[in-house]
Amino acid sequence: MTALPQQPDPPVDDLAPRFRSGDEVALREAYDRYGRAVLHLATSMLANRADAEDVTQATFVAAWLGRDTFDPAKGSLIGWLLGIGRRKVIDRMRATARETRVVETVRQLPEPAQSTPDPDRVVDRLVIADELARLPDDQRRMLELAFYDDLTHQQIATVTGVPLGTVKSHIRRGMASLKRRWEVDGAAPGARAAGFSGAR
Amino acid sequence: MQHLEHERLVFLALGESDADNGESTHLDTCAHCRAELTALRQVAGLGVETQGLGDLPDPPEHIWRGITAEIRAAEAVPSLTEARRQQAAEQATIGQRPGGSPTAPAAPDVAGPGPGGRSRSRRRAGWSRWAATAVTAVAAAAIGVVGTVSVLRPDEPAPAPTPAVLASAPLAAFGSTPKSAQGDARVLQSGQLHLHVANLPRVPGYYEVWLINPTNMEMFSIGTLGVDSDALLPLPPNVDLKSYSVVDVSAEKYDNNTRHSGDSLLRGTLTG
Repeated sequence: MTALPQQPDPPVDDLAPRFRSGDEVALREAYDRYGRAVLHLATSMLANRADAEDVTQATFVAAWLGRDTFDPAKGSLIGWLLGIGRRKVIDRMRATARETRVVETVRQLPEPAQSTPDPDRVVDRLVIADELARLPDDQRRMLELAFYDDLTHQQIATVTGVPLGTVKSHIRRGMASLKRRWEVDGAAPGARAAGFSGAR
Repeated sequence: MQHLEHERLVFLALGESDADNGESTHLDTCAHCRAELTALRQVAGLGVETQGLGDLPDPPEHIWRGITAEIRAAEAVPSLTEARRQQAAEQATIGQRPGGSPTAPAAPDVAGPGPGGRSRSRRRAGWSRWAATAVTAVAAAAIGVVGTVSVLRPDEPAPAPTPAVLASAPLAAFGSTPKSAQGDARVLQSGQLHLHVANLPRVPGYYEVWLINPTNMEMFSIGTLGVDSDALLPLPPNVDLKSYSVVDVSAEKYDNNTRHSGDSLLRGTLTG
């Protein structure tokens, strides 16, 4: 990756339109690219691994069978897949909660409420991670130093040997891209409100 | 009003420094800069949480096999609506109706020759649009052959009563049901489900027949079984059998509860 020249624009990616038009190779590519993220969403939310795998499977099946409800103009393929996955995770959590209530009534053993993460937050994280991976190398590297290593701009300049002004500019542009992507594909209210009611 | 510089907002969002007095005053009064800062803070917080997400493990291959198996099964079973359209289109190629007024071939939004022509389907979700496209192609081919466009009219005469089977499912004992219980289900082109059952255990209530969508376990009842071992149950003309692909026979009680009892006796998956 580091050997690649800096790319001002990401390479043209026709996966989404091919997926939508029913190209089965595109289904496999989508699974190879985004299966990890969907499974991560499911395993983050569901205690049972088998449930999480079921939800992942059901997400891709529903996406494929409902592919003509996917509108690439309204968001990315991964955002759409995560939206379907998120609904399926919530359905499964509700079903599990119902079963648990029945069992608990029988046993008279209320379990302490487990704290599960907010599914919207998990989706948002995955969307940001996806965008981060698409950023030009320099922007991504500096944002990673800021996010993961908690370095200041000045420290990043020192560590990388890049002039402070350039560091600031990379970080500012990278943050702007992440924010734009989050507003389009994130699970936050407003971002996903319109046009994502299609496949389930 | 002079807004704060974007670079400065990013700086604040990443927590490199606190807003100075002038900046605080501006943020207190400027909704635009405040919203931008809030959003950038959210993004920065999410960015911190992405550590490790770039390196997630691959999902196990059996999930992929499950996906392809489920899709194959779903695509193998035609919907009734689609089948009827096909039938209507085929009929049009055989017996052309010179009296038919030309209609645009790109409007196959008609459920075909249902009884009384009322079985119009407005359901156009998911893959069924693909089906519509396919039928449009059939219709277009028909036009090419006969040179007249009489296909897909709602007042088409009733189809010949050939009990063609669109899909079928062997039904096997489910759960704790004795293994001798069995049956089979066949979806007829007439829009009915023919059910044959044998050795069902006695139940205090009655038997009910369901179609279930295995991906989300959504279901609906298509009727009850009487004393006969065979039953012919009408299906909704727009039912999507690719989704509702599982036939289920349950034991129900007279308990004023219309939901599935959870006590399934037989189950099977339709394939075409």
